[in-house]
Amino acid sequence: MEFTEHRAYQPGDELRYLDWRILGRSDRLFVKQFEEETNLRAMILVDASRSMAWQGTPERLTKRAYADRLAAALALILLRQRDATGLVTFDEQVRQVIPARVKAGQWTRVVRGLLDTPDGQGTAAHAALQRLTALLTRRGMVVLLSDLLFDRELALAALRYLRHRGHQVIVFHLMDPAEVELSGPPEVRFKDPESALSVVVRPRELARAYADTVRREIAAWRKACRRHGIAYHHVQTDLPFGLALRLLT
Amino acid sequence: MSFIHPLALLGLAAAAIPALLHLLQRRIPPEIDFPPVRYLSAAERESARRLKLRHLLLLILRTALIVAIVLAAARPLVPLRGGGAHQPTAAVVILDNSPSSGAIVDGGLVLDRLRVAARSSVGRTTSADRVWLMLCDGVLRGGSREALLATIDSTRAGWQRLDLVQAVERAARIVNAQPLPGREVQVLSDLQSTALASGRADVPSGVRVLALAPGRAVANRGITAVTVSEGAAVIELSGSMVGVAGTPQPVPVTIRIGGGHRDRGEIAARGLATPGSDRSGGATRSVVTVSLPAQSLAPGWWVGEAALEPDELRADDRRPFAWRVAPPARVMATSSAGSFVAAALAVLQDGKRIVDGRDVVISGGEAPAGSHAIVQPPVDPALVGQANRALASRGVPWRWGQLDTPGVLTSPELTVLNGVPVVRRYRIEGAGSGEPGAGGVLATVNGEPWLVRSGGVVLLGSRLDTAWTALPAAPGFVPFVDALVNRIVMGEAEVAAAEGAPRVEFRTRGTDTVGATVFGPDPRESDLTPATPVLATAALGGKDRTAVLTADRFASELFSGTRRADASGLLLVLALLLAAAELGVATRTR
Repeated sequence: MEFTEHRAYQPGDELRYLDWRILGRSDRLFVKQFEEETNLRAMILVDASRSMAWQGTPERLTKRAYADRLAAALALILLRQRDATGLVTFDEQVRQVIPARVKAGQWTRVVRGLLDTPDGQGTAAHAALQRLTALLTRRGMVVLLSDLLFDRELALAALRYLRHRGHQVIVFHLMDPAEVELSGPPEVRFKDPESALSVVVRPRELARAYADTVRREIAAWRKACRRHGIAYHHVQTDLPFGLALRLLT
Repeated sequence: MSFIHPLALLGLAAAAIPALLHLLQRRIPPEIDFPPVRYLSAAERESARRLKLRHLLLLILRTALIVAIVLAAARPLVPLRGGGAHQPTAAVVILDNSPSSGAIVDGGLVLDRLRVAARSSVGRTTSADRVWLMLCDGVLRGGSREALLATIDSTRAGWQRLDLVQAVERAARIVNAQPLPGREVQVLSDLQSTALASGRADVPSGVRVLALAPGRAVANRGITAVTVSEGAAVIELSGSMVGVAGTPQPVPVTIRIGGGHRDRGEIAARGLATPGSDRSGGATRSVVTVSLPAQSLAPGWWVGEAALEPDELRADDRRPFAWRVAPPARVMATSSAGSFVAAALAVLQDGKRIVDGRDVVISGGEAPAGSHAIVQPPVDPALVGQANRALASRGVPWRWGQLDTPGVLTSPELTVLNGVPVVRRYRIEGAGSGEPGAGGVLATVNGEPWLVRSGGVVLLGSRLDTAWTALPAAPGFVPFVDALVNRIVMGEAEVAAAEGAPRVEFRTRGTDTVGATVFGPDPRESDLTPATPVLATAALGGKDRTAVLTADRFASELFSGTRRADASGLLLVLALLLAAAELGVATRTR
């Protein structure tokens, strides 16, 4: 481990890395950083399938837009920490792959990669997720931003594999608030944009049962992720980004 | 149930609104993209049964809500049971005090039981009611409650029969004509089956008929008729033989003669009858014949009384009767009348039953002479035509025809003839084109006339000779001739029967007594067999209008048909509850 620089002390830092001499001279808390700490490799996976391009109301961001902004902010934070950060966007295929780097201009490349990825047409995102596992050969942190509207078992198989390879896996389950609380006209035909599946319901009658189903689904994801050592965070798109990022701490 | 505003019931058509709305609202819904449709499908699958049940429940609740509101608007009036005041009612209380109500059942008079119920009924009336009391005479008695109660108290068993079917029908018409909310006919009777045998009462809708259930059936035997002929009184018995069925026993009957309009001595005789000879339903009819010393009775009207030993119903245990003993007829027989006739007349003359004279002429084929004639066929068949012409000229509508087959005599009026063989006879047939009818036929052979009467002429089908008939050699020959000359040819004095207190009334023309009427209870009163509740219900109007009730239920049901309450308040409360339930179901499941 080779010393590289100082940085301000943050709660949770190990006290053994506290620079006591600076503390003695200036009464300020700094910790020493070493070369090995900066070698974290983080890959941010952004789901760009069609379902992500949905918003409950026009004044809210689509899930995809929310995921892009969250990914950009996360990449910025990681790069500022001199962690090598990369990006993968996918729908039913892998669309963009920006390898993890820590060099200058990496954030711009990440943001351009997000901007260059159109809203997907595909629906079977779990298939792309499985293919991604082959790309992530070096151990590091994998952050998945997705609405998880795909087959849970297949997706979990891919995530388990990453975990097995030694990756630290973090899942952000993005949902629009309108997906959590059902509302709408007295009677309406809801159509899945990714498939031909549609159903005619009276939202007021079905709201409670739907909310129960969503809660069960979230609980099932959370339980399955916990079982496999995967960090799971449910994030609604009306949640401020700061609060969403703090979920990582 | 009735309604104050029945037209409001048209609003019941609105009950179809929820179902119609449900059908009309089935339009094409708008389509919206919604990614988590998979969650929605799962939720719908889990809730499908609950939602269907909820929809059905809501449909029922909303329909029931509309029905309840419409019914409340129609202001239904529902009958109330139990105590409390009743609405103004027109009622006829039929207190059947016919003779059968004088029977003793379980140590008490049937009429007493009926009177108690009648007092209870009339005592519950108010000034707003219109109440009549009908007794066995069929007269409707109105008046105040106190007056009716006094009438009930003073009522005794009468002598007239009450036809309950007709009485109820008449009472129902009376109460139905009254502009009062309640209309009721209360029948307090022993419900004899014979009183309900005249069909079914036509009771208008809206009239309730309440009948008190009859008490226990008891056995009874009564005298239904007494007829007197030559030397015998025929007493007909009838009644209900409950408890003694299948055990025929002799019935002692006592006859007393005397006490007529002329003071005469009393003659008593006794006879026995064996019951069960003619049974129909619960009633048994039998006949007893008691010999009378007719020859010892002086001419004139005689009154007697037949009596049975006392039983549960005393009213029919005695029955008077009357008959006339004619003065000795003045009789002459022609030479062609035959020796047997002459011998019989000699006997009667010795007994002072006849005297010589020409008031009655007995001949053997000659033209009938005198005002009264008894004509036998001629000995010579060749003279039959001449004799027929003589009869026709006398205006007799009968003639002798061909010789006919032998047979046995039958006569309901002259019992002495019954069973006597006839070996030779002319068929007696109607003369000319006109049929004389069966009214003048007094005896028959093989169902064909043998002894007929027309005015003052009596025609015989055989000569009174042993070569023609065994009658001259029979013991009843002299009484037969006695009856012919004293009663039949002279014309019998009419004795009519009528309903009323037992007595005999004579009809007079000038100073002559020309007939008598014997009063007594209707023979059907002797049959105390009560009708079954089903039969009584059917006869008194049908089960939808009539109820036969025990004493307790009868008392509780009186005027209950008019105790009605406006149920609109309850229906509004029900509507409120339904609305709350609908709101609960509609909101709870959202």
